[in-house]
Amino acid sequence: MTSTVETSTVRTPTFAESINATLADLLEHEPGLLLLGEDIGRLGGVFRVTRGLRERFGAERVRDALLAESTIVGQAVGMTMSGLVPICEIQFDGFTYPAVNQLVTQASRIGYRWNGQVSPSLVVRIPTGGGFRGVEHHSESNEALFARYPGISVACPSTGEDADQVLRHAVTLGSPVVVYEPIRLYWRRDTPVRDPEPARSPTAARIVRRGTDLTIATFGAITHEVLEAAHDLAPDVDVEVVDLRWVAPLDMDTVLESVTRTGRLLIVHEGSKDVGIGAEIAAEVAERGFDTLRGPIRRLAPERRVYPPANFESEYLIGVQEIKDEVLVMTK
Amino acid sequence: MVLKSESEYEYATELHDDTRRSLLRHMLVARGLDEEAHRLQKQGGLILWASGQGHEAAQVGSALAVGPEATVFPTYREHAIALLRGVAPDELLAQWAGRTFCGWDPYRLRFFPYTLVLAAQTLHGVGYSIGQRLQGREDFVVVYVGDGATSEGDMSEALNLAAVESASVLFVCQNNGWAISKPAEEQMRTSVAERARGFGIESVRISGRDPETVFSACSRAAAHIRGERAPYLVEIQVGRIRGHTTTDSQEVYRTRDDIARSVAADPVTSYAARLSGLGVVDTAWLDGVEAEVREMRERLMKEYA
Repeated sequence: MTSTVETSTVRTPTFAESINATLADLLEHEPGLLLLGEDIGRLGGVFRVTRGLRERFGAERVRDALLAESTIVGQAVGMTMSGLVPICEIQFDGFTYPAVNQLVTQASRIGYRWNGQVSPSLVVRIPTGGGFRGVEHHSESNEALFARYPGISVACPSTGEDADQVLRHAVTLGSPVVVYEPIRLYWRRDTPVRDPEPARSPTAARIVRRGTDLTIATFGAITHEVLEAAHDLAPDVDVEVVDLRWVAPLDMDTVLESVTRTGRLLIVHEGSKDVGIGAEIAAEVAERGFDTLRGPIRRLAPERRVYPPANFESEYLIGVQEIKDEVLVMTK
Repeated sequence: MVLKSESEYEYATELHDDTRRSLLRHMLVARGLDEEAHRLQKQGGLILWASGQGHEAAQVGSALAVGPEATVFPTYREHAIALLRGVAPDELLAQWAGRTFCGWDPYRLRFFPYTLVLAAQTLHGVGYSIGQRLQGREDFVVVYVGDGATSEGDMSEALNLAAVESASVLFVCQNNGWAISKPAEEQMRTSVAERARGFGIESVRISGRDPETVFSACSRAAAHIRGERAPYLVEIQVGRIRGHTTTDSQEVYRTRDDIARSVAADPVTSYAARLSGLGVVDTAWLDGVEAEVREMRERLMKEYA
């Protein structure tokens, strides 16, 4: 495989356009579904992901929320008790924290507290990640925080097609789902090619590049850097890339099957390394697949430090070259 | 700081004697259950108990006033309302014995589960009311909080949300003067009622010693909410007779006189005396309620001791 970048002139929808189309379709077909978030109506969202939806579905169903994240998720919890399906939007990942209490102590536990009488299908969409020269708090990756909590599912789609599948599944799940949408992918068009192989289920990981020498498990925006590195390394090293798509629960079966074939595992993510998603995957593979390994499991992720000002973010983020270097070290 | 209370009987109107007997009966049953819960906790049958003693007039008066159609979002001390709404006594104690997180059917009784993270339910209540209205269904909601919980950000956010959405929500703050050990005068510089007005929510502050005052004030509040389709807040000053919960030793931080004042202002005994004096209830009626309470306590003892 030598192609690195999609060169087709056919205009495929961007990540943001795909999400917009999915939300419109859900609003069209699910009368109990509504959107709730800051500036999502009149403005169409700060990233214009919800552009046009208020005009089409009305201000009652595409609700411009107060500038208070606990209010957004807290009222959404109450709305689920009345039988509605709210899809909330938090404006940026770094502004998620005021809503954490409502998500963790309330939304995630409502079903259990109510002895199953309430099954809150409550979705929280969060633009995430860096690489677009954001100011402070606008470039974080806090998915591992929610992955820790039982009762909350966490999705990190990296394509519009996956986001569509994730959102359609999330609104029927009956428990809260946090969906992280990489900001730097919203309007990007030149993404590396990936195998069209479909996932086994809406919650399964997806093998986006078949390979024989080493498995890279990854998720979110950096999946594209991983794919670019993998394409660059071919044919010398044949890398298999697993796009996890969900980090809670993790589809460890797909990862383990892949490692059984390749014998090597590298985990790459944008969120910092310590007590991160990669640590969990490494531990699971060590516990359940140790005898399939030909070498040590490695993680490639930023060190434990605050996301820096934009001028320094390239030093913080994991780039294509570092991924290639790591693969070469592991396969030499 | 001394907060001036509006006259205790300002809103009291002549209630029907049946309503008065109903108020007293619910208060007596709630007190009996509370006493039994303390006994069971001492014996190890319950893990913990958050007493409602001193709150009975506020709870029974407000719950009877809003009627059975309103959906109640309680905090975790609204035992008199739970019983009034039809939660069976053993169902009410189940979560305090570690058997479940909610022992009753919230939808059937329109009495939603207790919420232990303070003020979290205030936003749920407003969101539920908005959701009901959007679906063309009964949207009247009553949200209960204590004075301590009003310091939580969610309470302020819920007041503002209810105000801007013009939600049909009655906020009832039972102000017993203490957030565990922190007295009300150290918790706030204005009354909760005054604070509500700052959010654009009409409000009233009343004494919770007399259930008829509470009933009348909450009836007016409910009429306002239904008429204007706008929220309202009733702050009810109550006395805290027991500690915050059974783990608390209020003697450590409250003076003997202060506790004695709360005991002397007991709304249950004073209302029983008042109705007896007025001839609304007689010894036979009181004996009947006492027998009912005794039977309930025996059943609870068998279930939980």
